[in-house]
This record gives sequence, C-alpha cells and structure tokens, in this order.
Amino acid sequence: MKLLDIISGVSLFRLKRAVILGVKSLWMHKLRSMLTAMGIVFGVCSVIAMLAIGEGASYEAQQQIKDLGSQNVILESVKPTNNTTAGEQERSLILEYGLTYHDILQMQATVPGIEITVPSREVKDFLWNRTNSVDGVVLGTVSWYPTMKNRDVVRGRFFTKLEMASSAPVCVLTESLARQLFPLEEPIGLTVRMRTSYFRVIGVIEDDPAVAASAEGMESSSQSSSEGMEMMVPMSTLKDHFGDVLFKYRSGSFEAIKVELHEVTVRIEDPDQVKPAALAIQHILERNHKDVDYKMTVPLDLLQRAERTKQIFNIVLGSIAAISLLVGGIGIMNIMLATVTERTREIGIRRALGAKKKDIVTQFLIETVMLSGAGGLLGVALGIAIPVVITHFAGMKTVIEFWAPAMAFSISVMTGVLFGIYPAFRAADMNPVEALRHE
Amino acid sequence: MSRRPDTEPVIELRGVEKHYTMGEFTVKALQKVNLKIYPGDYISILGPSGGGKSTMLNILGCLDQPTIGEYFLSGTDVSHLSDDDLSKVRGKELGFIFQSYNLIQQLTVVENIEVPLYYQGVSEKESREIAIELATKVGLGKRLDHRPTELSGGQQQRVAIARALSCDPAVILADEATGNLDSKSGGDILQIFDELNAEGKTLIMITHDEAMADRTPRVIRLKDGEVAFDTYDEPN
Repeated sequence: MKLLDIISGVSLFRLKRAVILGVKSLWMHKLRSMLTAMGIVFGVCSVIAMLAIGEGASYEAQQQIKDLGSQNVILESVKPTNNTTAGEQERSLILEYGLTYHDILQMQATVPGIEITVPSREVKDFLWNRTNSVDGVVLGTVSWYPTMKNRDVVRGRFFTKLEMASSAPVCVLTESLARQLFPLEEPIGLTVRMRTSYFRVIGVIEDDPAVAASAEGMESSSQSSSEGMEMMVPMSTLKDHFGDVLFKYRSGSFEAIKVELHEVTVRIEDPDQVKPAALAIQHILERNHKDVDYKMTVPLDLLQRAERTKQIFNIVLGSIAAISLLVGGIGIMNIMLATVTERTREIGIRRALGAKKKDIVTQFLIETVMLSGAGGLLGVALGIAIPVVITHFAGMKTVIEFWAPAMAFSISVMTGVLFGIYPAFRAADMNPVEALRHE
Repeated sequence: MSRRPDTEPVIELRGVEKHYTMGEFTVKALQKVNLKIYPGDYISILGPSGGGKSTMLNILGCLDQPTIGEYFLSGTDVSHLSDDDLSKVRGKELGFIFQSYNLIQQLTVVENIEVPLYYQGVSEKESREIAIELATKVGLGKRLDHRPTELSGGQQQRVAIARALSCDPAVILADEATGNLDSKSGGDILQIFDELNAEGKTLIMITHDEAMADRTPRVIRLKDGEVAFDTYDEPN
C-alpha cells in the first residue's frame, strides 16, 4: 500500500466527507486537539517572528551600507599613528598627512573604469549667524556630491560647476545645522560666517543617514557634537578662504595641519569591477603613502559581509525552526498514536462496515494534517502579529517576507503528513476481529 | 421442522476449518464445517462458549479467512480475496449487528446509518435519503440528529439495524443482538428481525440464548468447532 495510491484514490466527495468527519473527531476532544496543535502554533509563529526580526535588523544594516553606494570606494584621510613620523613632523611644526590631488590624478590615469571622484576637504570651527554659533564643519566639495552620496537637496539648490570655477562664496547647510543656526528663519539667502569669511546660503541638504541614525539614539548629547553640522562650499572656495594649512586652537593647544583632501569618493562604472578597482587603488595608495594615513572603505565588501552574516543567521534560524517543528511533530505523532489506540474499536467497526485500509489511512492522515494545518494557520497569524506589535511598541524594524509565512505553513502541513503516516498505517493494519473486540 | 429450500444457497461453506496457533499448540476453532445458507433463511447459531460461535461469525462476516476450505458468498469464492476486496464484500453483501451496538460516538443517528454507504461510494444526497428512510423504518425518524449517547440501548440497537440494512446486504449477521438489552427492548429488536425475515431478508443470529431456538425456523448448534446439529439435516 503506497501513500501515493491512497492520495490519488481519494475522490473529492470522499475527501469532503473525510474532512467533516475529521473535524467532528477532533472536536470531540477539543482541549486535546488544541494542545496538540499548540506545538505547531508556537513552532510556526516563532519561525516567522524570528525571521521578521532578523530580516528587519539586517535590512537596516544593509540599507546603511547601500546609502554609501555599492559602486563606490570611499577613501578617508586619517591621522597616522606612527610615532617616529609624528616626531619628525613635530619639528616641521606642520602635520602633513592624508590623501592628495596627486593620488586622484594617478588613480584616474591608471585605474580603468573610474567614473567620477568626489573629493572633499573639511575645516572645523564655529559657524556664526550673527550672534548664534554652532560648532560645525565646512566641507569643501564638488557639485555632484548629492548624487554620489544619495542625499537629497530638500530646499533651494546645490552649488554649480560654474560656482566651483569662480570660487563663489555660497554654501549649502545640512538640515540639522540649518535648524540650529536659523531656528526661526528661512536660511536661504542669508549669510553664515566662519572666522572672517561670509557665505551665502543657497540650499539645505538632508542629513547624512548614518549620522541621523546615531544621533537618534543620543538625542541630548548630539547638540554639543559637531557631527552632522555640515556646511558645504565649493572646493576652490574653501581653499581661497582658509588656505592649505589648517590651524587648530583647541583647549589651549595649537596645531597646524595640512591635509589636501579629507575624503575621496570614487565611483566605479561597472559593479563587477569594484573589487579589482579597489585593489588597484590600494596599490597606488600604498606606493604613494609610506604611512597608513588613509582609510579605504568598500561598501560592496561590507554588503557582502553583511549578507554572509545573514546567511549564517538564516541557517541558525532554520535549525531552530526545524527543531521546534520536529518537537511539534513528535507531539502530534504521540497524540495520534494514543488516538488510534483509543479509537481501535471505531476502526474495527469501520472495517466491518466496508472500510478499506486506505480509507482508514486517509481518515487519520486527514486528521493529523488538519491538526497541523490549523496549528500552522494560527501560527502564521501569531507570527505576523508579533513583529507588528514589536515594531509598534519597541520601534524595531521588522520585515515579513511574503515567502516566510507560506514556507512555515507548508512545512507545518508537511510535518502533519510525515508524523501522521505511522499512526495512520498502524490504525489501518489492525486486525478487524481484534479491533472489534477491543474494549 | 423446516425443509431445505430448492434454491441456490447464498452462503456455502465447504470443509471450512480455522486453526489458531498459540505458541506450540494449534487450536482448531472450526473443523470440517459444511454449511449451506439459503436466501430468506432465519437461523440461530447456538453453542456453548468456546464452541466456535465467534470464529463462525468472523468467517461468515468475512472478517477472517478460513485456514482450510472454501467460502462462497453469493456465488463467489471469498476465502482467498485480498484485504481490499474483502472489505468491499463486507460492505456490500453483509450487515452486522453487534451485542454492544458499536455505533460511532461522534456521529449522529443518520450519519451512523450512512457509514456503510459512504464506503460503497454512494452519493451524499442518495445516502442521506436511504438513511432517513431506514431510521424512520426502525422508529427513529424523530431522532435523526441525536448522538448515540443520547439514545437508550434499544434505540441504539435499532440504529445498528438500520445501519446493517443500509447497503441492502444479502445476509444480516447478528451477534448476541439482544444480549445487552432488557427483555422488553430485546423483544422489540427480535420483533424487527421477524419482520425483516418476513420481508425476505436472510438473518443469521449468533447467540447462547436457548430461547432463540424456538423463534427461528432453522437452528445450527456448534460444539467443539463442529456443526453438531442443523435443522435442515434432520429427517422430517
């Protein structure tokens, strides 16, 4: 007697009757049926909920990485930690480090497929609107900065190539800086002062998503930090007004620093070429810089690493799901075996009245599948509700992928079939004479 | 005394034996049974306990197969059928009435009567009609949606009779059908049996109640697994 024969031999009419009968039999032992299904309910529900939470967490991480641009290679200047060089440079009074225009030119000349580069340079100091001041950063950059960084200009406009060429004293403020510096006014058209230079505000750009996210967690302390308080001006304007050497007066000490470029964003045309290009860039930088005074970030690498982490997470989750459904399945099998024993007489009666073995198998299999299916449905409902509740009350992002409930439900039904087969066949294989005599 | 009819038998046992192996011993529950049962027969099978009554019922009811010998039911040899075919024969050719009614507890009166029809693949509408008709016939027309637990013993046995009749079987087998009932209810049940036989049904009653011998025209007595007495074999 093969399972397939049984399934194919069941007509729709019989199936309907068997389902009705199954409902009646399960209904006779409401509490028991419910408790049995609970195993599946919690299995399915925990799988969906965990998947949704995990998916939500990795979605956020991936979104942050994607904001950096998957085709980009981000280079940043960092103060070298090497002591001997620092000592040498102390003598020359000016600390010189970081990326240079020479690096960019060499990259453009030797690395194929480089689309655009966005160099930027920053000067940190107080920004003034009349008597109102904010500890901020002036960022010298290029006109295509917003597109490259995936940041929208929310009001006004960004500066143009022409303004870059003419070193126009114009600036674009980030939203939070605009709020701090101009709490009551519309900043566009007004001026911001840094040291002795004045800049006309032409636009407001949205905050850096990474900074905005970290600021949310800190709230009050973010006001004192200069993070996110950016003002963007054309590269040439910055050089004209502040020169190449930056002087810092902080807590009584004096520091002179020369950094040509603080950050360079390189976009690679072909997404497949990002890794080789990044390698080539690294070679150039290694040759040009004796000290490691730069940092290279490849968002694609981070993305891939995040995806690998997610894969591992999914495997762990899958194992937990498998175990919980296994436990649920064993629970079902246990109860079905007890049910078969308890209903031995009924089986005998049915056999005497003309039921074939396959009729008995079908009957019990349908009951188990209904039990696990009902448990699965309830589990899906709970599994969808829990992430919604978590998002609502804990503010955590959760993502329910459409396949997760579908998969969890079908696995629960399959669990029913798998763990129902043995009890069903045991019921069918009973000797009718003995089954009828069973008390 | 009744006479052996001249028609073809509905049941014929030829040299049927049933052996049970219990460890090293072989128990012969039935021995050399030759029996012909004709359409319209109304038979009591009597005998002491251990005489082979239950085994006889199991063999006649196609619940078990003989170790030796042949069993013809409505002209077909059923002693070598597969399990599936045997199930089909049971459902179609035989009606069972048990001592303890053996109704399915989770089903209503009408649904219980429908069970054999369901396994024969009769459509839902048709089987419902048959079940209602039979329930009415046994006097339970107003209790169609009751469950067995809501009925008295006599009523439950009447449901069982209706169920046994549902597929219009060739033979009805009753195993101590009145054993669990008081004399009044038991009498009612026997009354129904009499009526069924009068309609031409073949009834075989397996019982240890000697009073039954006077009620049925044909009596078969089993002793030590053998047919010790058969009304038809007695000289008139």
